[in-house]
This record gives sequence, structure tokens and C-alpha cells, in this order.
Amino acid sequence: MAEPLHSSQPKTFPVKPKLKPKPRTQNQTPESKYWSSFKNTQIQNLISVPSLTFSPSSPHPFAAAHSATVSIYKPQNDPLDSPTTTITSFKDVVSSLSFRSDGRLLAAGDLSGLVQLRVISAGDDALVKVWDVAAGDSPVMELRGHRDYVRCGDSSPVNADTFITGSYDHTVKLWDVRVGDSKPAIEVNHGNPVEDVVFLPAGGMVATAGGNSVKFWDLISGGKLVCSMEGHNKTVTSLCVGRIGSGSDEELNQFRVLSVGLDGYMKVFDYSSMKVTHSMRFPAPLLSVAYSPDCKTRVIGTSNGIIYVGKRKIKEEEIEGRVSEKSLFWRIRPLEHTEKKVFRPSHFRYFQRGQGEKPSEGDYLIMRPKKEKLREHDKLLKNFRHGEALVSVLEGKNPGNVLAVMEELVSRKKLMVCVSNLDAEKLKLLLVFLRKYCTVPRYSGLLMGLARKVLEMRVDEIRGSEALRAHIRNLKRSIEEEIKIQQSLQEIQGIISPLLKIAGRR
Amino acid sequence: MIRGGQNYVSSPPAFSNDGNRVLVCTGNTVSIFSSSTGLQVSSLEGHTAPVTSVFVVPATDILCYCWTSSFDGTVRYWDFSVPEMVKKLDLGMPIFSMVIPSFLGSSEENNAKTANVFAYVSVHDGKAWQIRKCSLTNYQNVGKLVLKETERLEPLIISPSGKFFGIKDKRKLHIWKLPRVESDLAVAKKITLHHTKTITVLAFHPTERTVAAGDVTGRILIWRGFGTQKFLDHSGSNNRISMNDGEDKNGVRQNDDAESCSAWHWHSAGVCLLSFSPDGAYLYSGGKEGVLVLWQLDSGKKKFLPRIGSPLLYFIESPDPSLSLISCADNQIHMLKTPSMEIIKSISGIKPPLSYQEICESFSGKAAFDCTSGLVAVQTENYGIQFYSLFANRGVYEVQVCERNHQPVDEVTVAVTLVELSVDGSIMGTVEIKLPEEGVGGLVSLKFWDLDSDTKRFSVSTVIYEPHRDAHISAIAFHPTRRMAVSSSYGGDFKIWVCKEGDIQQKGQALQNSGWMCHAVGSYKNKAMRAATFSADGSVLAVAADTVITLWDPDKNVLMAVVGETPTPIVSLAFAGKSEYLLSVSHGLKPQLSVWSMSKLTMAWSYRLQIEAVSSAIDSSYFAILALLPGSNERAFKGNGIILLFNATDPIPVASMSVTKAKGGGLAFLKGDLSERAVIDGKTSQTLLVYINGDREYVIFDPYDKEGHKLSIIRQDVALEETGQFGYSSIYGELPKFDLQKDKAASVMSTASERPWETIFTGSTHMLPPLTKLCSVFLESLLEKRAALAE
Repeated sequence: MAEPLHSSQPKTFPVKPKLKPKPRTQNQTPESKYWSSFKNTQIQNLISVPSLTFSPSSPHPFAAAHSATVSIYKPQNDPLDSPTTTITSFKDVVSSLSFRSDGRLLAAGDLSGLVQLRVISAGDDALVKVWDVAAGDSPVMELRGHRDYVRCGDSSPVNADTFITGSYDHTVKLWDVRVGDSKPAIEVNHGNPVEDVVFLPAGGMVATAGGNSVKFWDLISGGKLVCSMEGHNKTVTSLCVGRIGSGSDEELNQFRVLSVGLDGYMKVFDYSSMKVTHSMRFPAPLLSVAYSPDCKTRVIGTSNGIIYVGKRKIKEEEIEGRVSEKSLFWRIRPLEHTEKKVFRPSHFRYFQRGQGEKPSEGDYLIMRPKKEKLREHDKLLKNFRHGEALVSVLEGKNPGNVLAVMEELVSRKKLMVCVSNLDAEKLKLLLVFLRKYCTVPRYSGLLMGLARKVLEMRVDEIRGSEALRAHIRNLKRSIEEEIKIQQSLQEIQGIISPLLKIAGRR
Repeated sequence: MIRGGQNYVSSPPAFSNDGNRVLVCTGNTVSIFSSSTGLQVSSLEGHTAPVTSVFVVPATDILCYCWTSSFDGTVRYWDFSVPEMVKKLDLGMPIFSMVIPSFLGSSEENNAKTANVFAYVSVHDGKAWQIRKCSLTNYQNVGKLVLKETERLEPLIISPSGKFFGIKDKRKLHIWKLPRVESDLAVAKKITLHHTKTITVLAFHPTERTVAAGDVTGRILIWRGFGTQKFLDHSGSNNRISMNDGEDKNGVRQNDDAESCSAWHWHSAGVCLLSFSPDGAYLYSGGKEGVLVLWQLDSGKKKFLPRIGSPLLYFIESPDPSLSLISCADNQIHMLKTPSMEIIKSISGIKPPLSYQEICESFSGKAAFDCTSGLVAVQTENYGIQFYSLFANRGVYEVQVCERNHQPVDEVTVAVTLVELSVDGSIMGTVEIKLPEEGVGGLVSLKFWDLDSDTKRFSVSTVIYEPHRDAHISAIAFHPTRRMAVSSSYGGDFKIWVCKEGDIQQKGQALQNSGWMCHAVGSYKNKAMRAATFSADGSVLAVAADTVITLWDPDKNVLMAVVGETPTPIVSLAFAGKSEYLLSVSHGLKPQLSVWSMSKLTMAWSYRLQIEAVSSAIDSSYFAILALLPGSNERAFKGNGIILLFNATDPIPVASMSVTKAKGGGLAFLKGDLSERAVIDGKTSQTLLVYINGDREYVIFDPYDKEGHKLSIIRQDVALEETGQFGYSSIYGELPKFDLQKDKAASVMSTASERPWETIFTGSTHMLPPLTKLCSVFLESLLEKRAALAE
């Protein structure tokens, strides 16, 4: 009895909706929040998009290859429907694209074997050729070693002379231009036809996509398999390196590998912790993916000719930061932050302080007890205005609150009275609510019984009004639908349960 | 033997003369509580039947004498400061109520006539209740004259001036004027006041001839100037009578002898409490709805102390004008700071059993016991659980299960039907139901609570709505070692719940995601399951499916065996400690206690008894049962129940005790180290059995002890008594002890001193007692007192 068991302060218990069960899976991690913050827009009316690439220089336009055309889009444009530039000088389907590191030069290859402005090329003839853009026609080097189509390649981000190629003969080869004896420096076997290879930003590792898996190889240790990600259900078609964050230094090394596959999934793989951190579904098989270097845009090309352009909103503080930098130029001396002076008892204004007076350092603060904020229906319930409380909560949006108020009325034995006293307009409100929610499993326990009671009690009014009858018809339809669903579910249960029994016996 | 859980509110309590002590009738004893700490200080033991009234002899602060009356027919005179009995008078008839007018009234009259003290008692002569006068100095006078006979028990109410006393009798009030002390007449005059409704309570004005009465509909009637004709013509003020004669008697019924009668109506239900303030300017009233109303007598203006949460019974003013108390029907006594009307302290008794036992099939009023810490958890009317310490005999705390305000007058629509504690007392499970309105909106929810290891209080961890669809839950049982629970339902299935512990251990931040989840569901031929229990090691789960017992592996959820058949459904199951025996109890037309052997899966032995409760010792094969005796045996056993102690292997009871009020009772073995709390004749007892009866009075005893040694409690909290402070210290507080060795923080703790000027001048000025009264108190507090000589 150290304290009184009864506090004399009146307590109020506001009506709260029932708690929802917590999902067993974790809530959205910050990372998946980041990846789903890209707002998708679509570029339609293209034929399948096998290749996408971003220019490394700002403002990072991206090039998309579709049929015999290459279109260049600027992601800043809104809407994105029209390309800024279209190159149509191809004779066959364009299969591969690449920007030069300064962004001024675009290389493209088509299935007819023509390469325009290309640096390194690899082809279906299993040959890899190195071209000099300035020199023109003849390749600088021809590298033989692959025994099947070579469909992908990437040059090292740290060394200009090395590059890798992946081939349908399941191998990935690392070449060094300086050696020049047509032998790969390192050769690894992926186990499936290689669809895409990509150097990871540090340059020591490569990721290869082939079959249903993405494999990571350590080149420095001579081509050791680091890990394999088997998250996709169909062939992985494209890879790219993505980055989290927008440029602050500590976040710079938060690199992820984005992979897309024919199963329509885009997966984000964190290769430092070997985990798929995000997965996203698109409604079509995906063929290509690219991620802009400034982390604002992610484009995904599909086989049915739609490009999904995901754009992320730039954080407001970044913009503000920029603005303030600009305004700093104009404002030579920023305004001083004036701090309110705390008066001492020696000052005469100390004795004229008002209510707005700020507390000084050593003052002991006595807080006014916080007044509990009651919502509309709680206030009405507190005043025993039950009918009004029900109407006010029906006019709101939250069905959980409506149920909570109804339960409270049941425990006060007032729900039936409230229902019988509703006028036609409010009755309509109730019927609309019932139609919407009475088949929702979480609410149906109460609402089904209530719907029946409402119909019993208010049968005369409903007969009399055409509008109410329409609502009843709708209600009937939704219930019939639900019954149909239940029946089919029962059928399924009937099919499954003998199987389960047999399985349990084993 | 430790007794506890007494009813504190069976009759009005009384303050001691200095206001520091509260005397409360608690069964056969009078318990004395400190009004400043709310803890029990001592008790007056001696009566052999319930004490019905206690009356403190008014005197100076130092004298501590009181009279008590009891159903055992005795009136006793105590010095409650020691405490010991001084005098005992045997009237030979059960006394229900006693008033002693001689001590009231003016003080000089008192001093002159201390030799002869009269009391008016309400006694039972075998046929009816009678009001008689008796002398407390020489009790030959008792039974000389019968003033009035009533069929029912009606307490006598005396006016604070000591000139009148009265009783209510259905729709009438009877008021007597007391004769002069020296006259030999029992009583002089009697008048009767009539009303149209049954009167529930009455109170006299301290100075004027005014009486107030409350009725069952919530009206308060105030008769002013009662007995003008009959009581006053003796003293010869004839002119006033002629003035008020006849026509101008507004509101007074029939030819009642009163000047006027007015009615106030605020209470919605019956009035239970009426009391005038000592100066007569205010009237306190309270009723079933649990609101204390303060009426200004002249204007009828009201002030409220709302939401006390339980019907109010008595309001007592202390000699200290700032302190008073109210007794509530839920066995709580609240200390009230009078002018500001706030509760400052509570004397918390065990809450009474719920009045709505019959609302649904699944309702169980059984208490849950925490065997290790000696706590009992009982359901309360205000949708909570009270934790009551069995050894300290006081309420520890309460948790609110349903988030609702309780209104005692409302119809019951929400109830906590079941409470269960795990063996180690760290987990609690509660079931609450919401009754449907015309078949719509019923809800059952199951809550699991975790004990906070720091505050030792339960907080809710998981809420499960409709755990068994709309079927009610019949039982909850906890795994003895792990965080696992089982709930069985009348709908024919049981569910095993587990608490995700892994998350808590692995990472601290995942703690909020831990909760109870359904681990398995089981059913047996769709039979209603009424009981479930785990074996002592937790490897076997026994669930009663109607008349058979099903045994399950709780981890794999595999049915291991089905045992036996009883004639009627099994309602309770328990494993007999660590032994291989399982007990089952079935009610109905053929009640039965059966003991099943788990090794042979057959019945070992059985009794045909109506069993109320079963409890088994945790570490041995002993178990105790509480059996209800059929009506014919009641006389032979002196009580309607019997506790039998068995060894599971042997159908012959080891010990037996007969008990009263066994219906709705409970049993539990307490274990653990009780040596610091309970001692039997110097040696500590390891196993104690607690029996709690239907009125939630309990007794703790050693079941193996044949001689029935007294089990004495060493109360530690009695020692902390406050001593009155005089002179300097009463004004400025205790000087800190000047001790250089002590560090400063320790020396600051000066005890809360009594500073009367803080309390006597609180409140608005019109509420203050008259200045003359205040002045003496104030000056007295400034003066140094010498211990007055006791006479």
C-alpha cells in the first residue's frame, strides 16, 4: 500500500480498434524502402529492349536499344514518352550498347555484325576484337578462345587494359590487351551460358549471370567462386551495379548488384553480406537493367517493349542545401540567431515576466498534466450520445474505428437502439458500410449478425425507399459472391484434406 | 495458522481520539490501522464471533479505550493502545448493534456521570431483534424493557449530540429521545416518521433536530424540527408548537411530528451512506453508483468525488478536521482529505467475490495462486485482477484487464472469466468475454501477461481475439518449465501457445516483436474440452475431452493415449505432484474424484464426492481436495466442506479438516522459502496449504501437522510507527542528526512531520471549521505537552 490503489483522477479509456496481428516477416527494412522509393513510369510502344545503358556524365541520359533503333532519353524530362535522340542507321536488331567514360561516345552493336564506334567487341562468331575508335576499320586485336557466342563483356573500372567477356560456352574470360597472345589471363566456368558479366566497382571481383544464378568471382585470388545467388526462377538476363545513397562519403561503398530475369523479378543483392535485400516483381520478362550513376534513375527493359523508368525523388534537404548555398552568395552576412535573454532578479523586467517566459537553466519545471485528446466519437460516447457517435464514426474513413464503436455500443447494450433510431439518410450510410465490409473476415463476425438485425428491424423503411433497396441489392450481391468463394474454398479443402492425411500417415 | 482476507466493511469503522488510528471490525477481531500509513498496527483478539460494532470512548488524545459488541453476546472494553481487554460483559444474546449515548453531548455532563454508563443494544432473543437498554457499569439492567421489535437486522443510529437515536424499519423511521442520564426510565419518547419508499439509511444532524434519510430510489429526505410536539412539550416551549401547528407542515406525511420535510434527488440508485459534517453545514451522501456527493445543507448545492468505482457504505469523520474515511463495498477503506476531497491512502482488503457468477457457462470465480511469492490473484468487479499478499494480508496492486470504467449500477456486459498463473508466477493468462447484444457482437479474448522483473508487476504481452472462434475458453494451463501454455475450449479443441523466446535472447531490439503464437491445435472427436494440465516435468499434456482424458505430447502434438471414462464430464484435471497419478474431477449428477495411474492407464481409485477444488503438492505425491458435504452432514461436521489430504498411492486420507463456506472456495500448496515470513513454534515449515473460502477469507496452515500448532507471523511493517512530535519539531520538522561520519544524502531524510497548520488551514475559507476550534488545535500544536496522567 505504498501508494493509493485508486487514483481519484477519473480515467477515460478511448475506444480503440482491435489490434492487428503483427506480420511474421520483418517490416520493410530501410534498404527495401530505398529501393521501392523509385517511382515507376513506363515508356511504351517499343519492341523488346535487350540493352540499356546510362551515360556516365551528368545529366546522365540513358540509351535504349530496341529493334533496329537506339533511343536516347533524358530522365529529367517529364513525361518520358519521347526520346531526345533516335539513331536509326542500323540494319538489324541492336543487341548491345555502351557509353564511353566521358559520355560523349556511344557504341552499339547489332546482330548483323556491324559495330558502330566500338571499343571492344565480341560477337556470335566467338571472337573478341579490340577496336580503336580513331583508327577506324580494322581491329587492333583479335582474341580467340571462346567456343560459342560471346554475348557480354565489361572493362575493368581500375585498369584500362583488362576486360572480361562471357560466352555461351559457360566460360568467362579475363583478357589483358598488353599480353596479346590471345590467351585469357583468367578463365572461370559459370556452368550455364553466360548472359551478362559486370565488374564490381572495386575491380577485383566480377559478377556473372547465367541460367538461374548470379555468381561472384574473386579475380585477385585467381578466379575463386565467392558466392552464388540463386534467387531467380528463370534465366537471369542482365546485371548492373547500383548504389545506395546519394553521394555522402560513408555511403559510397554501399554497392549492390541489381539483377533481372525472365521471371519478371528484379533482385537487389548485397554481396558483402551475401543476402538478397530487396526483390520486386514486374509484369513481364525482364531483359535489361541499368542504374544511373547519380542514383536517381533506374531503368528496366522488358521483352514486350516497355521500359520501366524508376525515378527517385531527391530529398528535400539536399535541395534546400543547394538553395541555401546559392542564397549565401547574395546574403553576405547571415542573420544572427537572437537568443532570448533570461532575466536575473536584479533586472526590473524580471518582475514583469508573463506567461510566455522561458524557463532558465536551474528552474524546476512543473508540467501541466497533458490533456488527453479525445476523438469525436469518444467525446460523444463519453456524453452518452450513442447514436451520434455511431453516425460520426460511420462518416469517417476507418472501418476499424467503426467496429470499435459498435463493440463499445454492444457492451453498453445500445447498438440495437441506435440502429432502430437512425433516420433514412444515416441508414443508407450504415448499409453502404455493411456492404463494403461485412464480408471482410476480420469484421464479418459482428457485421453479418448486425446486417441481419438491421434488415429485420428496418424492413419497412427499406421497402419504402428505392435508394435503400439498391443498397440492399448490392449487399446481397457481395454476400452471394462471398458464399461462392467460400464454397470453392471448401471444395479445395475437400480435395486437399485426403492428400494431407495420406502425407501425414507416412 | 494464519487467517486473513477478512471483510473490512461489515460494520462502520471508528477513529481513535487523536485521529491516528482506525479501528476496523474484521471478523472476530478488531484490527487497528495507522491512518497515515494505512498499515495494520495491532488487533484486538478475544471475541468468538464476528464483531458488530466498535465505539471509541471520547476523551483526550492520550486515552485509548473502546467498547466493542459482537454476535457472541458479549460487550468488551479494551485499551487499544496496549492492546488488551479491560472488561467483559456477557449479555447472553447476539448483539447486532450498540450505541452508547452517555459519552456524547457536553463534556461537563460526562465528567459528572462516568459512574453509570448506559448502552442501547439491538439483540436477538431467539425470535426477533429487540432494542434494549443496558447498563455497562452493572449489567443487571439489561433486558428490562423492550423498546421495539424488528424482523430484520437494523443498525441503531445515534445523533452526535447524544440526545436521540433511531432506526429505520422498512418505510418508517423510529426516533427516540433519550432521557436524562439520572432518570431510571429506559427511554422517554418515541416518534415515527413515514415515507412511501423503503428507507435505506439515516443520519442525525449534530446540533439541530434534523434527520436525513435515504431511500432505495436515490432520494434524500430531510426532516427538520422533528419531534417538536412530543419531545419539547416536556421542556415547556409551548408557544413554538402552537406556531407550527397544523397548516404549515410542508412535505410532512400524515401526522408526523416534524416541521418540514424536503427531498433531494441526485442518486440514480439507492442511497447507502449519509453523514452530516461536524458543524452541520454539509451533508455527505453516497450510493450504489460510487460517487460521494457533498451537499450544502442550506442551498442544496453539490460537490462530487466521482468514480470511486464501488458502492459506498460508510463515511466517518475523524477528530482531525482534514481527515475522514469512506468504506466501499469492494472491501477498500479510503482515507479522504476532507476539504479538497481527494483520496490520500487506502486500506486495501481482498476484493469480494463477483456478484455476477452466473453470466455464462465458462465463468470461473476461482482465484489463482502464485505459490512461490505467496500471492493470490482474484478477479475484481472493475474488470481487473487484484494481487493480494497472503502473508502480509493486504492488497499489493491491481491490473486492469479490460480497458473500461466500471459502473456498479450498470448491467454486466463484460467480465474477466478466468485467471491463471504459471507455477513460477512469471506469466499470467486471463480470459475476458464480452456478452453479445441480441446475438450480435460477442467477443472472447485471451491475454497473456509478463511479469516485469524490476517493478514486479504484470504487463500485457499478447492479446488474442477469439482464440477458439466464438467458443468460450474453459481452462488455461501453463507448462511448468517453459514458456508454453494450453487453452481448451468448449468448442471441442485446444490450442498450444508458445512464446517466442529466441528473439529476445538473440537481439535486444527484436524484443517488441516477441509474443505468444499458436503452436498447435488439437481436438478429440469434437468433444467439448473442459480441463487441461501439464505433468510436473511438462512432457505430457492431459486434456479432458468430455468424459475421457486424452494425453498428448505437447511438442509434437501427437495423441499418445486415451484414458478411461467417467460417468459425467470431467471439469478439472491435475497431476499429483511428481508421481505417476492423474486426478480428474467430474461434477453433475454423479460427481466423482478419480485417480488414474499413468503407467497402467487405468483408474487406481475413486470417490463419489462433490469436489470444489484440487491442489497437489509440487514436490511430493500428496494432494489435497476440497469436498462439499451434502446438506444432511452439515451438522455432524460443523461446516459445509471438508479438506482431505491424500497420498496418491493410497485411497485413505492422511488428514482431514472441516471448513465453512466451501462453495466457491479454493486450495493451493505454497512452497519456497517461507522462513522469514511464517514460523511454526520456532521451526520453519516447508509446505503450507492455503484454503480460501467462498467469501475470500483464507487460512494458511501446515496440513501435515496433527497438533495444529499456531502459525505465527512476524510482521515487519508494524515496527514503522510514527511518533507524535511536539514543540520545535512539530513546526520545523525533525532536525537532521548531526553526524559527521554520515554522508550528507543520508542525513537529509527527515521524517514527514505533522505540521497541523498545513492541514487545518487547507481548503476554502467557508469550508474551514470554526475559528475557535482551529485556534485550540493550532495553539496546542505549538505548545509542548507533558504526558497527561491516565486516569
